[in-house]
Amino acid sequence: MHKTSFGGVASTFLLCFIFWILLTWSAEPQELATGAVISLAVALFSSRFFIHDKPGWFFRPAKLLNGIFFWLCIFPVELVKANVDVAKRCFTGCKNVNPGIVKVPVDLKSMYGQAALANAITLTPGTITMEITEEEGQTYYYIHWIDARLPGGEEAGEEIKGRLERGLRRVWE
Amino acid sequence: MKDLIIFSVCLGFVALLNIYRMIKGPTAADRMVAADCTDILISLAMMLFSLYSGRGIYLDIAIITAMLGIINTMLVGRYLDKGRWLYHADTEDSD
Amino acid sequence: MLILRIAIDLLIAIGLIFALAGTLGVMRMPDTFCRMQASTCVTTLGVIGVGLGALLYTIFIMGSAATAVKVLVICGLVLVTNPVGAHAIAKGAYQAGIRPDKEMETEDYRRDFDE
Repeated sequence: MHKTSFGGVASTFLLCFIFWILLTWSAEPQELATGAVISLAVALFSSRFFIHDKPGWFFRPAKLLNGIFFWLCIFPVELVKANVDVAKRCFTGCKNVNPGIVKVPVDLKSMYGQAALANAITLTPGTITMEITEEEGQTYYYIHWIDARLPGGEEAGEEIKGRLERGLRRVWE
Repeated sequence: MKDLIIFSVCLGFVALLNIYRMIKGPTAADRMVAADCTDILISLAMMLFSLYSGRGIYLDIAIITAMLGIINTMLVGRYLDKGRWLYHADTEDSD
Repeated sequence: MLILRIAIDLLIAIGLIFALAGTLGVMRMPDTFCRMQASTCVTTLGVIGVGLGALLYTIFIMGSAATAVKVLVICGLVLVTNPVGAHAIAKGAYQAGIRPDKEMETEDYRRDFDE
């Protein structure tokens, strides 16, 4: 288990407090004080579960702009394409599916980058990340694919996550 | 605007269609997937109804519904996985 | 103002169409994992379409910031937390002994689970 660090507590507290302000949406001092106390308690308890690296590493202007560009420009295009594909399969009888589990190599090194790529793959309909393993320094994803045309490897990876990985590599590398 | 209540009723009807899979589904995972869909659709319908009627309380209930739905899904998934952590490469040695 | 109302209706209708597609997939797909894929359709474009329509309505017709923020919180919460739930339940279903219908899974995955 990871140790509780000051940076982890501070960043978790900031996240919880912003979420509290968004939920209550009032600027009275009593509500702000209650929110600060509860956020501090939650941060002290739970920061060691999800701050494993240096907090605040993401907040540099270049990385932040690349991240915003990825989540607002690259990712929605892939999302809409995959959605239309799956919706077409659903409306035309659900018979033309070819499911299978493929194994795909991934080049991202950072743990946050791997998690973000896995979540992006799962969020596009048609592919679900099932597990992340590591063999001999190379990271592999097991992906359930609704239209498994290829048996796996580099080509299937390019088909599934080529643009997503190239967009995320500019953020976490 | 009358359109919002019409769309809200349509979303509720689509959510009712998921009950079929929830009753029939052969395994627990099927039932949980259908329950998750029902939950999110009911939350969206509640959001549109809140905008139609102008009462803020339904919006808060929609937030709570969405939160509880995701917690249910993770709970059942972890139960089916025999209580292991989702990404257990780091935490396995200390357990 | 008429254009705005037509845009709101169009966005919500797009969300409703994708929700209907996902529901039909959940009802009729032949396999547990395929049903999961179809349910992702509901939780991405269905939520985004209805949420964008509701956001336009709250900003331009209702004109209240608190309601708009709450709508944003609902949609963001569902979109951020949904892949974690999908991942958990897919792995749990595989662990509980459910396999894809067609035998196209790689042997490595079975080996990693058996060890």
